[in-house]
Amino acid sequence: MSNQSAGTGNSIAVPVSLNENESRIFSVDVLRGIAILGILLISIWELGGFSVNEQTRLRLLHKGLDYNLFANVLIFFEGKMRGLFALIFGTGMMLYLTRPNQFTMPQTHEYYIRRQWWLIAFGVIAAFVILWPSDLLFHFGVLGILLFPFMRMSRKALLIAAIICTAIYCGKMYWNYADDKKMLRKYKAATLVEDKFKKDSTERHRKDSIANMPVDSIKVRDSIEKKNDTLVRQQKMDKESWERMAKNIKYDSTKANEKSENEAMRSGYGKIWNYLLQRSQQKESVWLYRVGFWEFGSLIFLGMALYGFGFFSSSFSKNKYLLFGVIGIAVGFLLAWWRLELTYAKIPDYEKYINGHAIPPNQFFPIENIVMTFGYASLALWFIRLNILQWLWRGLGAVGRMAFTNYFIQIVFCTCFFYGHGFGYFGRLSQKELYFLVLEIWLVQTVFSVLWLRFYHYGPVEWVWRWLIYGKRFPNKKETA
Amino acid sequence: METIAIHNPAPVAQADRIKTIDMIRGFALLGILLMNIPGFGINWDSWYNIMHGPHNTKDYYTLTVISSFFEGTMRGLFSMLFGAGMVLFTQNKHELPDGPSVAEYYYRRLLWLVVFGMFNAFILLWFGDILYFYGMCGMILFVFRKTSPKWLIALAIVCMCITMFKSQQGWNESREQRKDYLEAVQAKKDSVKLKPEQQGAITAWENIESWRSRGPDTFWVNRNLRNMRSDYATVFTYWVPMNVDGETNGLYQSWFWDGLTMMFVGMALLGLGFLSNKLSTPTYVMWLLIGYGIGIPIGYLAYKQGQLLSVENFTYYVDRYRMTPDLLYDIRRGFISVGHASLLILIYRSKIVPWLMRALANVGQMAFTNYLMQSIICSWFFYGYGFGFYNKLKFHELYYFVFAVWVFQLIVSSIWLKYFRFGPFEWVWRSLTYWKKQPMKR
Repeated sequence: MSNQSAGTGNSIAVPVSLNENESRIFSVDVLRGIAILGILLISIWELGGFSVNEQTRLRLLHKGLDYNLFANVLIFFEGKMRGLFALIFGTGMMLYLTRPNQFTMPQTHEYYIRRQWWLIAFGVIAAFVILWPSDLLFHFGVLGILLFPFMRMSRKALLIAAIICTAIYCGKMYWNYADDKKMLRKYKAATLVEDKFKKDSTERHRKDSIANMPVDSIKVRDSIEKKNDTLVRQQKMDKESWERMAKNIKYDSTKANEKSENEAMRSGYGKIWNYLLQRSQQKESVWLYRVGFWEFGSLIFLGMALYGFGFFSSSFSKNKYLLFGVIGIAVGFLLAWWRLELTYAKIPDYEKYINGHAIPPNQFFPIENIVMTFGYASLALWFIRLNILQWLWRGLGAVGRMAFTNYFIQIVFCTCFFYGHGFGYFGRLSQKELYFLVLEIWLVQTVFSVLWLRFYHYGPVEWVWRWLIYGKRFPNKKETA
Repeated sequence: METIAIHNPAPVAQADRIKTIDMIRGFALLGILLMNIPGFGINWDSWYNIMHGPHNTKDYYTLTVISSFFEGTMRGLFSMLFGAGMVLFTQNKHELPDGPSVAEYYYRRLLWLVVFGMFNAFILLWFGDILYFYGMCGMILFVFRKTSPKWLIALAIVCMCITMFKSQQGWNESREQRKDYLEAVQAKKDSVKLKPEQQGAITAWENIESWRSRGPDTFWVNRNLRNMRSDYATVFTYWVPMNVDGETNGLYQSWFWDGLTMMFVGMALLGLGFLSNKLSTPTYVMWLLIGYGIGIPIGYLAYKQGQLLSVENFTYYVDRYRMTPDLLYDIRRGFISVGHASLLILIYRSKIVPWLMRALANVGQMAFTNYLMQSIICSWFFYGYGFGFYNKLKFHELYYFVFAVWVFQLIVSSIWLKYFRFGPFEWVWRSLTYWKKQPMKR
């Protein structure tokens, strides 16, 4: 009973053991470290102004160093790094919820829920104060709450849940494509009607009579031309919606969007805030509902299941990890390569693509994502057990233990570097330069994390987080060793 | 004592239920249909015609009463009781040493509520579903279940301010548009050459004005009628984008804050003993007077000078107010909801109509079933795959139908609870939450 009254001072009131060797799993920290660094490979596109149009241009180029760099990042990392993060998040959930020698269960659960809500709050800060629209914290906070009731499910059931989520996500890809197909069908129907009217002879006659009209009867001419409007409103809407979409897919050589985006992102804080507001809100509402829930949900479920299988405490043989790793990455690679080729085929003429293909390019992205992420996790665990490159794993482990802090450092640094209220480099660096910067950030973060953890138990943001959750400031300084 | 309690993680025993809470919930549940019925039975744009038409029709009077007195208040009352109910749920649970914690039951229950909400929206095809939103809002209440009433009221005010801020933002945009238009017009008068964006400002505002004065767009009205009077698959497809929009943008932009405001109020009122009939009669009388005394005049004014004016003369409406009249929405419904609750408790205490109060409590005890039943009854009565009465009744005639549903639900609930412990949907929900078939028969 007495251990429930928090704050009585002795060791039992400290919710998380300060002896990290006991409560932390080293491999989980390493994977989290890999994920947090890897995320930057993709998010640098949006942070640094490597625009979608430019990506489309590279896709169409289909050769050269720039293309290869882009394609490789796309194949090997797009979605997989945040996937790895989600996987580890699922494992972390179970670790937190089932950790032994803690408070009684009810209190652990209470802290867990608070922890998630503070995570959401940090996500809101990342999105609306630091101005990072593709923030992940909000989504993980929400999913951590929604998936909390599944914690007692057996590992098998969790695995099935992961598969179901992946299947639904695949299904969504297909339904979206089916909508596009329907849109195209309606567009064609509308253009058919239009063509028919154009050929109509009386119509041609009327046009001739307009051409011979004196200039001052412009009003009459206008009204007649309005009558020439042959499509009903529904057909016009159908036609426009397809045209709008087809235009969005195509490469725009005028780069109008990029120009206006660069201009906005290089302006002041207030303007950027306004410019990004809607994007951030959409991400936290529509995107989470339609995409994020399924994408992250499947991987979180997988992470929860893998915890049950003892995957991270090395309960499988070394060769099995290698096998999982190779298979996962190979299958993922094939699917990703295929996706890339199909996307390339889609851009020049989406109409042709729809006529020639039963499924969209990203049909199997969910499978590619989950399989390859799992492959990476396995391969990393295999490496860790090989007992080579110890210094590297220790470094990554340190990054992973301070993942929350490192995440914030990344976005604060990048927004200040790229956005107008900082140095305004948005859209000014080439792809290669962006990745050079990424390497720099990785290096600095690893060194910083190792050094920080030499003197402190937790990263600064982690420390604040714990303070908020437990309502208590824990000593952070390490006793001098 | 504790050992007995500890082996009982089961639903609340009959004796533990707080009668007044069930009764108010029953009242709110029936009242919600007042607001929902136009959504089920009539094209939304008919409001425009009623407001624009002569003001001495039954339709007009009905609309005035509904808009100024009931709009939002029944949902408000329902949200209040939901907040209170969730607190009671956590208080009544005791944990087994290795069994699921209160938090687990709580979040399982809410996750199932979210699923039921989606069922209501996508299967029963009621786009005005609130269960999904309640499930989502409820997720945050857990953290505040032990917060003192004072702080809960403060939280409610914070949520209310967020809603107000958002509606004021929208209002500012309208006024901005109007300002740009006036400036462009002035420039034109001074025969300055117009910039393209000034030309754009003129067309944008003229579009708004012509849309406002021409009235509902027959294209959309016809589309709505055609779809609603069709078969199940058509109605389903028609509602999918709107349901998705509600569950994403709607939740994120407004319903989350709308729900939380009143839920926090409800939790505070529970903590103060207001909802559980623990305060003195003069206190309830006072709150009745304050609630109605402030709420009703604001409601009437906001309707007359706000909603009605915006339909009758939008330009004047925009020019007239610096702050949007919508800011009064939450204040008004907060007061009126508290007024409703006080009135009900006073009637309950006076024992004038004990049979009605008992019947309301029965409806309230089966609120979940009754709510879903309203969706089932109304969709079958109005939609094309049922009897197809969509848009065939006049606005005021809808309320005869509401009355019939009320009588039906009052009677059925009372009979059902004579033989069973829970309503059928409650039973399913409980069984899913505890992941065990619950006893049903008395």
